[in-house]
Amino acid sequence: MKKDIIVCRDVKKSFETERGIVDVIGSVNLTVPENELLVLFGPGQCGKTTLINVMAGLETVSFGVVTVDGKKVEKPGPDRGVVYQATALFPWLTVMGNVEYGLKAKGVPKKERRERAQYYIDLVGLTGFENTFPSKLSGGMRQRVGIARAYCIEPTVLFMDEPFGHLDAQTRYLMQEELMRIWEKEKRTIVFVTNNIEEAVYLANRIVVMTNCPTTIKAEFNIDLPRPRDYVDPEFLRLREEISAIVDKTL
Amino acid sequence: MGRFKDAAKYEKTIFAVISITTFLLIWYLVTKDTELGKVLAGPVTVFGKFFKSFTEPLGTHVIPGHILWSLSRVMVGYVVASILGIILGVTMGWSRLVEAMFRPLFEIIRPIPPIAWIPLAILWFGLGELTKYFLIALATFSNVTMNAYSGAKSVDPVLIGAARMLGASDSRIFMTIVLPASVPHIFAGLQIALGSAWATVVAAEMVRSSEGVGWVIITGQDTNNSVQILVGIIAVGIIGYVLAIMMRQIEANLCSWSERGK
Ligand SMILES: Nc1ncnc2c1ncn2[C@@H]1O[C@H](COP(=O)(O)OP(=O)(O)OP(=O)(O)O)[C@@H](O)[C@H]1O
Ligand SMILES: [Mg+2]
Repeated sequence: MKKDIIVCRDVKKSFETERGIVDVIGSVNLTVPENELLVLFGPGQCGKTTLINVMAGLETVSFGVVTVDGKKVEKPGPDRGVVYQATALFPWLTVMGNVEYGLKAKGVPKKERRERAQYYIDLVGLTGFENTFPSKLSGGMRQRVGIARAYCIEPTVLFMDEPFGHLDAQTRYLMQEELMRIWEKEKRTIVFVTNNIEEAVYLANRIVVMTNCPTTIKAEFNIDLPRPRDYVDPEFLRLREEISAIVDKTL
Repeated sequence: MGRFKDAAKYEKTIFAVISITTFLLIWYLVTKDTELGKVLAGPVTVFGKFFKSFTEPLGTHVIPGHILWSLSRVMVGYVVASILGIILGVTMGWSRLVEAMFRPLFEIIRPIPPIAWIPLAILWFGLGELTKYFLIALATFSNVTMNAYSGAKSVDPVLIGAARMLGASDSRIFMTIVLPASVPHIFAGLQIALGSAWATVVAAEMVRSSEGVGWVIITGQDTNNSVQILVGIIAVGIIGYVLAIMMRQIEANLCSWSERGK
C-alpha cells in the first residue's frame, strides 16, 4: 500500500465579494497516494484553480484541512511546486535564473545550484536556452521552463493548473508526451488540472470529475491503460466517451 | 528583419534632417532684412555666437562651462531625490501602511509646478545653491515616487505567489520580484523627472545665479541681447535632448528582458 501524500478532508472554500459570499468549493474529500498522477477534470470556471490554490497553500481553506505529507497546509512552501496556467515566469530572469530561483531562496551554494538547475533544464529539453529571456521563447518552451522551475526545488507534490491550455493543438500533444517522459524519469505526485478530456485520459492514473460551482467530486475513474497511450485505441475512446457523458456543461 | 529595421531608422534620420533644415530656412528667411529681423536675430548670427562662445566666455564662463554648472546642479538634486523617490515609491506600493500615510500627501503636492516653490525656497534657503538643489529635487521627487509606486502596485500577484511557492521570504520577494517588476515604471518616472529637473534648473538660475544656462538667458534679457538669449535657449534644447536620448539608451539596456525594451 502506497503512502498517502495529499489528503483533503471536508475542504470548503468561499470568497467574500461585493455581491456577498460565493461558495466555490462545496466539500471535497480527496486522497492522493505517492507518485500518482491525478487529473482534476471539470467544466470551465468550476473552481479547479481555487482547489489547486487551496492545496498549494496560496489560498486558505474556509473549512476542513489539507495535509501534504502529513503536514497541514497553511501557507505557500517549497515542498509543493506549482506550474501555472499562464506560466508566471519571472520575465526579468533568464531560463537559468527562473529555474534556480527556488534553490537560491533556499541558500543552495552557486555551484550545486547551477548543476541541479542544469539537470532540470536538460530534462525538459531546453539545453542551450539557459541564457534566454522568457519573452523570446515560444509558448511550449515557456511551459517547459515552468515545469523545470517547479521540479527544481524537488517538491513532494506538483500542482499543474491547465499548463497546456494556451498551446496550439500540435504543441499540446507534444507537451503531453514530454510530460509523460519527464514524469517516468522523475516520478512525483502530480495533481494536473484540465478541461480537455483527451489530455485527461492520456495522462491520468486516476481522473476525478468535478461538478460545477460550488464544486464537489462527481465521479472517479481509474485509468489502467498501458503507457505510452494511444489516442485512438478503442478502450481510450470508450473511456473518453464515458467520462465526457457525465461531466457538467460549463455554466 | 534587420535590414528592414535599418531602413526605418535611416528614414527617421532623413526626416529629422529635413524638418530641422526647413525650420532653420524659415527662421533665416523671416529674419533676413525684415522688421522681425530687428527684434529676432537670424540663425546665422545666433549659431555663429553659439559656437564662438565655446572659446569666448559669456560672463565668467564659456558656454560648455555654463552647461556644466547647470548639469552639476541638476545632478545633485536629481540623484538624491531619485534615490529617495524610488525607495519611498516602491515601499508605498508594497506596504499598505506606508501607502496610506504618504499617498494623500503626494496627490496634493504633485500638481504644484516646482517653480511655484521658488519664493518659499528662497525664504527658507536663501539665494544660494541650496535653493536650486531643493527645487530640482522637488521636480524630481514626486515624479519618481509616483511612478515607482504605480510600478510596485501593478506587480502581478501571481508572480508574487509563484515566488512564495518557491520559498522566497518577504524581503527576497521585495528585492527580486517587486523591484525588478517596477523597473520599467521607475524608468518612465526617471525620464519625465530628468526633463522636469532640467527645466527647473533653468528657471531657478534665471531667478538668481552668476553662472549656468539660466543665467545666460536672463542676462541676455537684462542687457537687451536677443542673440545671447537664443544661445542660452539652444543650449537648453540640445542638452535636454541629449539627456532624453541617454535615458532611453540606459533603459533599453536595463530592460532588455521586457517585450517593450527592443
Ligand atoms: N479571489 C476570488 N474572489 C472571488 N471570487 C473568486 C476568487 N477566485 C475565484 N473566484 C470565483 O470562483 C469561481 C471559480 O474560479 P476558478 O478560477 O477556481 O475556476 P476554474 O475552474 O479554474 O476556471 P477556468 O476553467 O477558467 O480555469 C469563479 O466563478 C471565480 O469568479
Ligand atoms: Mg483555472
